[in-house]
Amino acid sequence: MLLRHGQSEGNAEGIFTGWRDVPLTELGLVQARRAGELLLAAGLLPDVVHTSLRRRAITTANIALDVADRHWIPVKRSWRLNERHYGALQGKDKKQVREQYGDDVFRAWRRSYEVAPPELEAEADTDPAGDPADPHARPEPHVLTEALRDVVARALPYWTDQIVPDLRTGEVVLVAAHGNSIRALLKYIDRIDDQAIAGLEIPNGIPLRYDLDEATLEPVVRGGSYLDPRAAAEAVAAAAFIGR
Amino acid sequence: MTYTLVLLRHGESDWNAKNLFTGWVDVALSEKGLAEAARGGELLTAAGVTPDVVHTSLLRRAITSANLALDAADRHWIPVKRSWRLNERHYGALQGKDKKQIRQEYGDEQFMLWRRSYDVPPPAIELGSEFSQDTDPRYAGQPPVLAECLKDVLERTLPYWHSDIVPDLQAGKTVLVAAHGNSIRAIVKYLDGIDDETIAGINIPTGIPLLYELDEQTLAPVTKGGTYLDPDAAAEAIKAVANQGR
Repeated sequence: MLLRHGQSEGNAEGIFTGWRDVPLTELGLVQARRAGELLLAAGLLPDVVHTSLRRRAITTANIALDVADRHWIPVKRSWRLNERHYGALQGKDKKQVREQYGDDVFRAWRRSYEVAPPELEAEADTDPAGDPADPHARPEPHVLTEALRDVVARALPYWTDQIVPDLRTGEVVLVAAHGNSIRALLKYIDRIDDQAIAGLEIPNGIPLRYDLDEATLEPVVRGGSYLDPRAAAEAVAAAAFIGR
Repeated sequence: MTYTLVLLRHGESDWNAKNLFTGWVDVALSEKGLAEAARGGELLTAAGVTPDVVHTSLLRRAITSANLALDAADRHWIPVKRSWRLNERHYGALQGKDKKQIRQEYGDEQFMLWRRSYDVPPPAIELGSEFSQDTDPRYAGQPPVLAECLKDVLERTLPYWHSDIVPDLQAGKTVLVAAHGNSIRAIVKYLDGIDDETIAGINIPTGIPLLYELDEQTLAPVTKGGTYLDPDAAAEAIKAVANQGR
């Protein structure tokens, strides 16, 4: 089960968020509850949850699991499931960036496989990754920008090392993460090519179910199935207007 | 050098508010409890206490308290470990019953014995009854718990203390334990070397972090009884806990 976080303040305000750690909006909290109800209604009770290190994914998982009465399952977290680092675009208004740089550049920065946005300036305070000398800092590297390809490169080792072993024990695994870390996993699972991945949007807060062949881990149905297909289709259609 | 341990009893639950025996029944926090949990996180931040790992029970009042406190303290991303060994004491056949009613029905002495004695468990809960957890999937594969006295709680909590909490402390991590009145009393009894009679008088307030600095050699508390991060609120809450069931 893949679950993109509910609507965040960055989503609502049309701002590039990336590694910034913003909370859910009221709507996002409602979407997280609804995600839990969908899990419950589908009888899909997660045995373990994997989250990123950002509160929008963590809170979404906490609320959804509480509603599904699975709040007590084991939790694993990793920066490797974080959203893509949006570099210097983090904190910037999407509409303004699109108007300033034009549709083609905007689209390439948002959805292309290989193009990374300009690097975050080192002194910018929009990066919550901690001081490596601080023993209490978040365990994640300092990243200045990422393309989706970079997200695939850092998410796949976690898939292989942490998520696959849980799947192999027959557990229902919930991954609570972000638009681009989920796109990265799906690119791999569904073998989507570098061009086609640009067209893949992940809606907020709707669990996406994959049944994987136990021998090959290939999806039984390519693309998986959303637990609320109509809401997912509407949200994906609306995503085309982001930045407009 | 010392190790840092923070014990946090969950915020007020729906059944704390209704004055019912809760035990292993998995009730939610009340509105007040949600606010207490967030305030617990603010107290951590104000005190400069930064948990590196959290241990919780399997009950949502502790889990939600940890989630809210850690989010308020900007530590929502730390590793999480959970165990039934940190659960509240199983209150047996008293689970779901009104405290005041039990007090009137069985008398002060029996009531206090069940609530605060060290080694007298309440009557066993009936398997399959409304407030029994014998079919709950989170306890699958272990013998059903039917009732516990504080001694039983100590005996099932201490193995977890040694196997999971102590190694985190020894790794130099600031450890947050989000648990319950009686599982925290069990840990405090052990840490502070409190005898079986004196423990009856120790009450843990909801939602106020209790900070222990432990000697790195002996794991003995530097200050016996630890330090509440809001001592005034803790003192008042302790008085209120002592008056429950009246």
